[in-house]
Amino acid sequence: MSNYNKREEATGWLFVIPYLAFTLIFFVVPFVWGVMLIFYKWNLISPVREFVGFGNLLEALQDRRVWAAAVVPFKIMSMFLPTVLVLSIGIAVLINSFKRMQGLLAVAFFLPYLASGVATALVVKGIVSYTSPVNSAISKVIGYVPDWLGNSFLAVLVISLMIAWRFSGYYALIFLSALQSIPNELYEAAQIDGAGRITSFLRITLPQLYPALYSVMILAVGMMFGIFTEPYMLTGGGPNLATHTWYLEIYYQAFSTMRAGYASSIALYNALAVFAFIGVVRKIMQSWGRALGWED
Amino acid sequence: MLRNKSIFVLVVLVCLAMSSAVLAESATFWTAPNPSQEVFWHLMAEQFMIDNPGYNIKVMPMAEAPSSEATILTAIAGSTAPAASENIFIGFGAELVASQALVPLDTLDGWQELLASRNMEEAILSWAFPDGHYYILPIYSNPILYGWRTDILQDLGVDEIPRTYEEIIKVGNIAKDKGLFLMVRPALVKPNWWERWFDFFTLYNAINGDQPFIVGSEVVADDAAVLEVFHFYDQLAKQGLILTQDIPDAFPVGDSIWTELGPWTFPGWKEQYPEMVYGETFELTMPPVPEKFLEQATNKTFGDAKGLVLYAQSSQEELDAVWDFIRWVYSKPENDLVWFERTSLPPVRDDLASNTIFSGYLSNSPALVPYAEHMPLAIPPFTNGEFADIQTALGEEGLIPVVRGQKTPVQAWEDAKAAIEKILSR
Repeated sequence: MSNYNKREEATGWLFVIPYLAFTLIFFVVPFVWGVMLIFYKWNLISPVREFVGFGNLLEALQDRRVWAAAVVPFKIMSMFLPTVLVLSIGIAVLINSFKRMQGLLAVAFFLPYLASGVATALVVKGIVSYTSPVNSAISKVIGYVPDWLGNSFLAVLVISLMIAWRFSGYYALIFLSALQSIPNELYEAAQIDGAGRITSFLRITLPQLYPALYSVMILAVGMMFGIFTEPYMLTGGGPNLATHTWYLEIYYQAFSTMRAGYASSIALYNALAVFAFIGVVRKIMQSWGRALGWED
Repeated sequence: MLRNKSIFVLVVLVCLAMSSAVLAESATFWTAPNPSQEVFWHLMAEQFMIDNPGYNIKVMPMAEAPSSEATILTAIAGSTAPAASENIFIGFGAELVASQALVPLDTLDGWQELLASRNMEEAILSWAFPDGHYYILPIYSNPILYGWRTDILQDLGVDEIPRTYEEIIKVGNIAKDKGLFLMVRPALVKPNWWERWFDFFTLYNAINGDQPFIVGSEVVADDAAVLEVFHFYDQLAKQGLILTQDIPDAFPVGDSIWTELGPWTFPGWKEQYPEMVYGETFELTMPPVPEKFLEQATNKTFGDAKGLVLYAQSSQEELDAVWDFIRWVYSKPENDLVWFERTSLPPVRDDLASNTIFSGYLSNSPALVPYAEHMPLAIPPFTNGEFADIQTALGEEGLIPVVRGQKTPVQAWEDAKAAIEKILSR
């Protein structure tokens, strides 16, 4: 290797080192540490660490709180995904239809994503409180005030809508850039063939949005397994563990009961669930993409 | 030449600065993430360092998110814990003690003198750990009392403040007929473990606070007392007297007439609800008991109490410095008065209600008088490292299903007890 190439290589490594160091310190070391913790009964600070083998992993499998945490993302997903997809695509189409001020509108819809989860939760708490104007109006129609956070179905609905509100602007930006990359000729050709607006949307826009949809689906599904702030602030995981998410359980075990090893074993199951489900979603999306004519 | 001289002078100055910092007895003290407590400790540290120039006490608030317990735990795990911190309740303290993370304060020089100078020789007794040592110096204790909207009671034609479960249910029904709730408490159906302090242990201690809930790894609670509490909530829920949905500030707004209250409430009311005047619009009482227990009830309450600890991982120099600071703070009752004035949290002293130093402040803040008077009747949380799981089980298996009408009180206590025993046997 010439001196020039060696210098080039060294320069390359120099550029990569910060990222490698970051990955090592913040991902690799904690991951290895977390896996090691699984085999111990330990609270992070005690000088005594009891080796329990697979005890934590087995105990987690029999824990109803863990099973509740495994089910809750799917319950939220069933309400969140349709809502956020309709909202974000709708927002993207709306912004795209404006000739001017697209940037300003995009920023306006993106703002909820930047809002603090805690602040948003407090606002939602006010909206669903017993004497809120919303509830007063509802009670005039149906005769009673719905127990938004005390009813299992409604509590999941409130949290799903809240997350959908936060993320729809963010996902809309992804859809907007995809919308803007669709060649106009496709719509013109469809118009000549007599396609109406709805047909154009269903036959051209949606299939052309596939790559963006793919990204959004992966992001959204991954996020479903990491929900914390909204249920922590609003329901504490209740009623009857109906909103008890993976992260609530991991936090509870690590910092309330101080069972770091057990929390790590739940975190491992959480990671496995995320990988497995994202794998399933990828397969489904890829087969849909192939049907639409997109290659893997 | 001039440049060399400048560098030399700079080096000498830096060395001098460093040596003075090293020579000073320095230590870090973490306060609760509460501005008024932070201000108090800053004031104390400044005054202490003026009186004792050889010390350097750094006061800083502990991070609040996600919780102060989590912050302390991670700090100890990362060897970045301060020399001392406040905001420790006895349950969390038990976990820290089991992990050998705390210094037994009674082994330090001047412990007895501190207890004597702060006049807390009686109050400290309930803070002993099973090994006989004291690891937490209690700073404040809030006996949880119940507030009644006496102005609304008068409008409802009720002249006497109810004292028993039966009287409360009767008054609750009168309020219900007028479209009011007896109590608004969304936390009654939330599984958060700390809520059980305020809705369960407050009432349990009133009936039989002398009977501990847990001793060692055994549930020794008074079954009859637990069942009475569960039955009371069962009746309140069944008769539609309590609301488990949220109404912001239901009690001061007048949507409910009865609520548990700690002294931390009043500074906020002063700003937001100046019409809430003790003795005019509301009164404070000890927790109620069932009629049949009126004679033998212990009439105690739950004490939301927290204290300070010294962390064993600190160097001896840091521990010495911070201990000197703490002893100085509690050597004068005037400092406890400053605390009381700034935070409204009653300092743990045997003489709080009788010492004339506090009487001026108490006469200007009459709502705090019942808290000072009832401090000896406040029972701190039980000492068990599994506190979170135990109280979560008490809620999830016991109280919450009762309030929701999903279990009978008997079934709920059987299930909760079994769940707690399982936790204790781990």
